Amino acid sequence: MTSLLALSPLILVCATAIVVMLAIAWRRCYDLTATLTVIGLNLALAAQLLAWWQAPLDVTPLLTVDGLSIFGGVLILVATLACATLGHAYLEGARGPREEYYLLLLCAAAGGIALVSSRHLASLFFSLELLSMPLYGMLAYTYRERGALEAGVKYMVLSAAASAFLLFGMALLYAFTGHLDFAGLGGALASAGGDGWLLAGMGMMLIGLGFKLSIVPFHLWTPDVYEGSPAPAATFLASASKVAVLVVLLRLLQSAPATQDAWFHSLLAVLAFVTMLVGNLLALMQQDLKRLLGYSSIAHFGYLLVALVINEGLAVETAGIYLVTYVLTTLGAFGVVTLLSSPYGGADASRLHHYRGLFWRRPYLTAVLTVMMLSLAGIPLTAGFIGKFYIVAVGVEASRWWLVGGVVAGSAIGLFYYLRVMVTLFLPEPGMQRRDATTDWAQRAGGVVVLALAALVVLLGVYPAPMIDWVRLMAAT
Amino acid sequence: MTDEATALIAEYWAVGLFTIAVFTLCALMIGAASLLGGRSYGRSKSLPFESGVVGTGNARQRFSVKFYLVAMLFVIFDIEAVFLFAWAVSVREVGWEGFAGAAVFIFILLAGLIYDSRVGALEWAPRKRGQSPDIVTDQ
Amino acid sequence: MNLLTLTFLFPLLGCLVLALSGDRLSLRGAATVGVTALGLAAATTVWVGLDFLEHGSAAQVMELWTWVDVGDFQSSMGLLVDGLSLTMLGVITGVGFLIHLFAAWYMRGDTGVRRFYAYMNLFVFSMVLLVLGDNLLLLYLGWEGVGLCSYLLIGYYYHDSANGWAAFKAFLVTRIGDVLMAIGLFILFVELGTLNIQTLLARAPEVWARGDLMIELATLMLLGGALGKSAQLPLHTWLADAMAGPTPVSALIHAATMVTAGVYLIARMHGLFLLAPDVLTLVGWIGAVTLLMAGFAALAQTDIKRVLAYSTMSQIGYMFLALGVGAFDAAIFHLMTHAFFKALLFLSAGSVIVSCHHEQDMRRLGGLWRKLPLAYAGFVVGGSALAALPLVTAGFYSKDEILWEALASGHIGLMMAGLVGALLTSLYTVRLIVGTFHGTPGSDHSRHAESGRGLVHGLPLVVLIVLSTLVGAWIHPPLDEVLPASPGAAKEAGRHALEIGAMLVAVGGVAVALWLFAWRRALVARLVALPEGARLWRLWHHAWGFDALFDAVLVKPFRGLVWLWRSDWINGLCNLVPLLARGLRWLLTRAQTGRLRHYAVSMTLGATVVLIFLAVG
Repeated sequence: MTSLLALSPLILVCATAIVVMLAIAWRRCYDLTATLTVIGLNLALAAQLLAWWQAPLDVTPLLTVDGLSIFGGVLILVATLACATLGHAYLEGARGPREEYYLLLLCAAAGGIALVSSRHLASLFFSLELLSMPLYGMLAYTYRERGALEAGVKYMVLSAAASAFLLFGMALLYAFTGHLDFAGLGGALASAGGDGWLLAGMGMMLIGLGFKLSIVPFHLWTPDVYEGSPAPAATFLASASKVAVLVVLLRLLQSAPATQDAWFHSLLAVLAFVTMLVGNLLALMQQDLKRLLGYSSIAHFGYLLVALVINEGLAVETAGIYLVTYVLTTLGAFGVVTLLSSPYGGADASRLHHYRGLFWRRPYLTAVLTVMMLSLAGIPLTAGFIGKFYIVAVGVEASRWWLVGGVVAGSAIGLFYYLRVMVTLFLPEPGMQRRDATTDWAQRAGGVVVLALAALVVLLGVYPAPMIDWVRLMAAT
Repeated sequence: MTDEATALIAEYWAVGLFTIAVFTLCALMIGAASLLGGRSYGRSKSLPFESGVVGTGNARQRFSVKFYLVAMLFVIFDIEAVFLFAWAVSVREVGWEGFAGAAVFIFILLAGLIYDSRVGALEWAPRKRGQSPDIVTDQ
Repeated sequence: MNLLTLTFLFPLLGCLVLALSGDRLSLRGAATVGVTALGLAAATTVWVGLDFLEHGSAAQVMELWTWVDVGDFQSSMGLLVDGLSLTMLGVITGVGFLIHLFAAWYMRGDTGVRRFYAYMNLFVFSMVLLVLGDNLLLLYLGWEGVGLCSYLLIGYYYHDSANGWAAFKAFLVTRIGDVLMAIGLFILFVELGTLNIQTLLARAPEVWARGDLMIELATLMLLGGALGKSAQLPLHTWLADAMAGPTPVSALIHAATMVTAGVYLIARMHGLFLLAPDVLTLVGWIGAVTLLMAGFAALAQTDIKRVLAYSTMSQIGYMFLALGVGAFDAAIFHLMTHAFFKALLFLSAGSVIVSCHHEQDMRRLGGLWRKLPLAYAGFVVGGSALAALPLVTAGFYSKDEILWEALASGHIGLMMAGLVGALLTSLYTVRLIVGTFHGTPGSDHSRHAESGRGLVHGLPLVVLIVLSTLVGAWIHPPLDEVLPASPGAAKEAGRHALEIGAMLVAVGGVAVALWLFAWRRALVARLVALPEGARLWRLWHHAWGFDALFDAVLVKPFRGLVWLWRSDWINGLCNLVPLLARGLRWLLTRAQTGRLRHYAVSMTLGATVVLIFLAVG
């Protein structure tokens, strides 16, 4: 019974998926589907509290419920809720079937929640696939757009290749240790030391997971997929999916001390360094906001890898806090893009010149986007600053000067293109009316969501104590 | 220590030798055949050989997308039914808990089936106009 | 005590409401919101103040939250309530409320009222943070916040580019001070390991002996910040131009509150400054020179707001003088009374300006005293407080205190400067009042002046008139617990002589000025017409030509250097960095072909590299 309670968020999300599926089968009703989804997700979010009371608890050899998994689960659910709400506004005017979006979203969320509580390679693999499979569909959801279909196919093919690497790595690990659960694997790795095959296995797994996180040599898909896919799907890909994968990578690295092997360690460090620099450099002259956000997410995962590399002291707390700030900021930035786009009018409004003089038309949305850009750049008094501060502090504490230098250089480059976006927002557009006719966005739930996110980003930048306390609590168990 | 190293070297030597042997053999076979064998040319030689029947039309034929869809659904349900075999084998060991799990599993399959049929994924012919929107026939 | 947070939350809330409401709020509504926010803040301040005095006026710290707590670094946000911050708080919210109220009259009909009140509320919010912060980080935040609001409000009438440049000038000149202050904060943090004010004051004597180089340097840097903010030599040039903003702004920001932030900073950090006697002496001398310089400059202005601006500079000079001789409480006392009478003068000036259809040149005003009785009363009372007329005005008590402390601490030179300054003050004050209200009207504007009516216009003036008299001097800030006893507290000898001397100077100055400017105008005109007189006039009119001096010494050489080195190798080296970034970006974007097979290939290549890396290891 306690196991069921501990797994209740996952069960609730799955149940909602089935209910939504049956509801679609019964009658196609867009609002009903959306409502059911949101109710289910909220119930699951509340159920995380139930799970918290049971934690820490191992449920079957496959899953575990502890602070980390609940932390990841809450973030994923919040991101999914935001994606559902934003998607509602986005798909309202779409042609063709709209209800299946929620079905796919729920399945992907279930995969994410399962992934963060995995403690076994088998559950890691199948929940990763459960997370990815619906994403292919979501990315290609507005398949009449060329870009969307292209994005879906690209992600699918490359993802399959990454899964192959992941499986190969698992096979190697299993072949040489005879274990599939993280704990057993960790023990075996510790006793085996730096055996070449084991390192190769870990490396392969890192490649597979690194693809999902768009770590540098495996990052090429990111901008194309972000640009082409419908905005709410890209939002999910950028937030929930990455959180889930990062949390499981964190768990894997923590339970497998072989990662302390010097070469593996320096591999991670090199990847982190290269990732932050390349991500920022690529975004430098970018003319497309969604691509820019894609590149910036590459850079941000470079920063996050720093915490994973150091993996001692405050590292887990740092990763947690950075994830929270990253998710909130990404949701907000993509949320604005989503609200300004609609599959009605062809491709999404992502070119930067769409945003020229946005302030004079949509002052609130501009304010939200400005806050998000500031937060992404890590300006003080926004949540992003707290995250970056932690990264730098951890780096300094561990005396990893190269990595700290990389973070600083990356942030400096980043400032350039984030500010460029902001300047664009406020440029006057000659002959532009002061206000557009459509100001009803605030009435929509999506508008409320982005506004709340902006408020949260500022609030957490000024008063981050609750977030820090929460992450500490979660990291402690 | 040296024994171990020797063993290791021997092992790798074996692998290397094997690789070289494979390549050599392939090269030998193809090279010898091309050197020794005769060669004849003709127009019909470049046509695909299908049991003596002359092929017509293009090889890249367009199937109805339904074909793939139904095939895929078949594979999905077929594979999922395989899980039930595992349950059938261990039905006594897993007891009522296993029964409940299997029941949930079957229920989900059933729900999926209902969804498929309602959505029209199982129908071969396109629906007539005026009926509820349909993902599958929507090209 | 938890109510304390409300003192800055109300203005913040007002600012947010005004900023977010857009066109939905009517102009009247906007004024109501802005004034109400300040009214509530002032009421809260009264409540908090009474509560504080009841509990025996010991300093209290209110921990709000820990901002960042990573490893060894902790930065907590707290509020510090003691007599000093409470005095400042009272001035800011009390005088601020009156000015906000008056602004509702002054700004009526202006379509930008929402913006105006949003900025004003934001200013009060920042200023309250500045005085309440228990650490220098929070203080610095407020410091920058008021700087920003000052910039925004000076450039409030942005359609005229001259106002924009004035705002720019204010921002840049104070920025120099702010940078110095930031350096000071860094020094303090590095040397003492904290920015918490109370800890700093406690730890400084343990680390440094009196007159150590490091403490001198740190306090010098802090002084730099104070000079910029308080418009003292040599960073004073922005204040006169800052009068481009609406008059209530000049009253609130550039007379009563923000420009006194420097005085507050030095008084707050008194423990550090006492450890650096050389710097403290420097503070006194800067104050003395500024007060004389600004006094002369005020004599030769024609714009009534500029006269008041230079007189503000001069009065803050008095406060710096007091700080310099170690009489911190006298400085704060003068700060408070000055806030009353200078706000009164500015508001009265605002009343005159609006009544005369935005005419503020003294030469075109005149003969107004019958038409604008309330403004006249304001000018007379405020002016006599400014000139420190004996016994009945608030200014007399505070200025007398400063002169006495200067004498008692043995700084005869400073005291003499103060006395000369008092004479100058009388002269330019009388010149201002006579020029504005007596004589014949200089233009149609002043001939057709219409007096302001209504409670909103009258109430602030009346309250400030009352506060500028003896009544204001009865308010004794509860500073004993916070600031060290001043050098003159225990002495008595010679005090009465000095008081009588000061009285004579003030009264004599006024008498001479009346004789000169009211009855012997021709004599003054003849004096100015002389070649020497004209030169002097020009010199004073341009405030000793500091703008031209800075232009010649700093701006021109700088631009020359820039021109000279416009394509030097350092520049080229700097340009190399973006060039490098672009080059790298170009290289990297070659990989972004958009082709799936290239991506797959690069992924495989990456995987190979990773595996080789691991295999080598």
